[in-house]
Amino acid sequence: MTILETRGLGRTFGALRAVADVSLRVETGELRALIGPNGAGKTTLFHLISGLLAPTSGQVAFRGDDVTALAAPARCRRGISRTFQITSIFPELSVLENVRIAVQLKAGGNFRLLGGRALLEASERRARDSLGALGLLDRAREPAAMLPHGDQRLLEIAMALAQQPELLLLDEPTQGLSPEDTAATVAVIRRIARERRVTILLVEHDMDVVFDLADRVSVLHFGQLIAEGTPDAIRGNLDVQTAYLGGPE
Amino acid sequence: MNGPRALALAALAALAALPWVLARHQLSILTDLLIFGLFALSLDLIMGYTGMVSFGHAAYFGLGAYGSALVLVHSGQPVPVALLAGALLAGVVALPVGWFSTRATGIYFAMLTLAFAQLLYTVAYKWRDLTGGSDGLAGVPKTTLFWGGPSLATPHAYYFLVTACVVLALLLCRALVRSPFGRALQAIRENERRFVALGRAARPFKLVVFVIAAALAGLAGALFAPFRGFASPEVMFWVLSGQGLMMVLTGGIGTLIGPILGAMVFILIQEVLSSYTEHWMIFSGAVFVLMVIFLPGGLVGTARRLVTRA
Amino acid sequence: MAIFVEQLLNALALAGLLFLVSAGLSLVFGILRVVNFAHGVFYMLGAYLGFTTVAVSGWFWPALLVVPPVVGVVGALLEASTLRFIYRRPPIYQLLLTFGLALILEESVRVLYGPTAKGIDPPPLLEGAIGIAGTLYPRYRLFLIVLSLAVGAAVWLFLQKTRSGLVIRAVAQNSEMADCLGADIARVRTWVFGAACALAGLGGVAAAPMTTAYLGMGIGVIVDAFVVVVIGGLGSIPGSMAGSLIVGAAQTWGAYYLPETAMVIMYAVMGAILIFRPWGLFGEEE
Repeated sequence: MTILETRGLGRTFGALRAVADVSLRVETGELRALIGPNGAGKTTLFHLISGLLAPTSGQVAFRGDDVTALAAPARCRRGISRTFQITSIFPELSVLENVRIAVQLKAGGNFRLLGGRALLEASERRARDSLGALGLLDRAREPAAMLPHGDQRLLEIAMALAQQPELLLLDEPTQGLSPEDTAATVAVIRRIARERRVTILLVEHDMDVVFDLADRVSVLHFGQLIAEGTPDAIRGNLDVQTAYLGGPE
Repeated sequence: MNGPRALALAALAALAALPWVLARHQLSILTDLLIFGLFALSLDLIMGYTGMVSFGHAAYFGLGAYGSALVLVHSGQPVPVALLAGALLAGVVALPVGWFSTRATGIYFAMLTLAFAQLLYTVAYKWRDLTGGSDGLAGVPKTTLFWGGPSLATPHAYYFLVTACVVLALLLCRALVRSPFGRALQAIRENERRFVALGRAARPFKLVVFVIAAALAGLAGALFAPFRGFASPEVMFWVLSGQGLMMVLTGGIGTLIGPILGAMVFILIQEVLSSYTEHWMIFSGAVFVLMVIFLPGGLVGTARRLVTRA
Repeated sequence: MAIFVEQLLNALALAGLLFLVSAGLSLVFGILRVVNFAHGVFYMLGAYLGFTTVAVSGWFWPALLVVPPVVGVVGALLEASTLRFIYRRPPIYQLLLTFGLALILEESVRVLYGPTAKGIDPPPLLEGAIGIAGTLYPRYRLFLIVLSLAVGAAVWLFLQKTRSGLVIRAVAQNSEMADCLGADIARVRTWVFGAACALAGLGGVAAAPMTTAYLGMGIGVIVDAFVVVVIGGLGSIPGSMAGSLIVGAAQTWGAYYLPETAMVIMYAVMGAILIFRPWGLFGEEE
């Protein structure tokens, strides 16, 4: 079954066509990687799928429903959660509260002006569960800003995961990580995909990570999809080599 | 008993005992301090907890003052009716202003709130038939606590009314910032873009807290008018909005109790300076500039840092 | 027709003054990322210093030349002694700091000049009125229009054609450029802040013969200038030009047709524009 489908999706900024005519299908349960050189439009495509940017053409369908007209918050409530390329957390709030608020915003009861203790406790339980899955539980009380960079990247994943999404968009989860942290993050993502049965769409620069994790790979170049296939097929694809290296080897 | 709770009880005991210790004019200053403390507290809700810096908060203080003055002057209802009217008027006007202003964020929001406040100030100034123009409404009586109830005209009685209002408002705000709603506000303050990506539009939250803060500022203004006996355009002027910001920052932004203390310190400094020079505003402006540079956490923030370090 | 021409010229004169103030406000925001609440007070300072210069020299023209640099130096000194230390903080602190500066300056002017308004006579050359399209129009207001057009053109040429202008535009467009400039950025900030204050001071001197110098003129103009930059978009010089024209027109015709509610017209226009462009006509979403 197809969980996400974009049809002729495009976005221009003035004269620049950041994303052009992208038709992408992601099947339920799959781990799809989206690769492409810098400036290929990967992050823009993520913004279009999560609703942070409105497309200038085309549609986005999620679980068969056209969600093009929905803003980011509504898409998130339907089951699309995401992380950001540049770490985006609530710096002064505790690690636990970062994740708890993610749960609360999706679960509802946000306009309980007074009291709401049961609600807070329920969301805190789910937040702890998610933090545990990412190994961050022992730092739950610290302000998020105090975490090292690698843990902040994991915290973002914990926030998205705690929302129990059906589609998880990860924008370069290993960006700026040391080799050890990268390996740990890869392990975490693989475990999430297996245990939580969530569909993952992943933007990644590190080809080792991509070929290690992905079921299928889509290649974006100058805003257009130029190839799609299994990691092995993509590895041998001439167009992809051209895009990355400027010419066949 | 833990430290903060013991401090709170001690403060309550002091507030209860002070009327019998202080001279009449000192009690009057204390009442004033508390009223402006409530004003600063309401500003902290939007500024400290939601990250919305309003440059026009005095408008709601002023609306509260006019609302309560009109009720008391024309109908002589008990003071609580006037308080309700003042808070309600401020909240109702804040609704369209907030609706517009929350379309923008950050600096644009600050400028819009200032612009609307100046507009309201102009209305108060020009709508002579209703507001008395630049003279304002004078002779606002301190009526009774309820129909046929005790008079509030004595300094003691009015002081206790103000104290009760401030303590209740503080408790209310404390519950508010700890509720699911209040937690959401703090997340908006920290990172609005992330908040939106997590599934909720931020604007409804901002609008609700803006109206609540305006209503509380209105309550402060509604207490002010019968206390001083008048309401005039002065109480809606931008200078008061700015002083509110100073009180919050002096006391400690995002701490609730801090702004109340900040208002007290601010007005005490003003009292002391103004007994030496009529140009106290230069000095309080300078003190404020130095505080912004050297003590960004304010009194409470700095005290907390010292305590945690010790 | 005569009335229309008169109103049109009034609107242009007002827009000219608003432009002198809002252009500096916008420029400072573009480079320093600070909304200078004290900007209006520099306008007021210009008006009062203009009064002093005219009183001392007996001439109007020297005031127009001497006052802007003086106001600029005051501004630059204040930037270098206070704002410079807190650029790394959240924007609210810079806003609050300039608020404190506004209080100090406003009160200092009150101490030095007292509470009464100070009038300045326009120079003899610009006294009286001349006939335009069947109406008698004050010469001084025509001069205001010409002056602000000339200053606007000069600012534009400076930004477009000089090396310094290029640096300023680069920093305004991309704040990361600021880091590339390294140590120089502190100097750029001080110069830009000073220059913006000088522009406001020039506006103040130029306005004084028409409005007198009075306490509260600073807050009056800063609120109008805020509306201008909200309409036009912060950080954009064309935006502050367009915003000045819109606000000038709204206030002039508002005052003519609905004298009691002229302010309301201005806000209604601003509200209408904000519904469609929350970041202003020429502004960019943050």
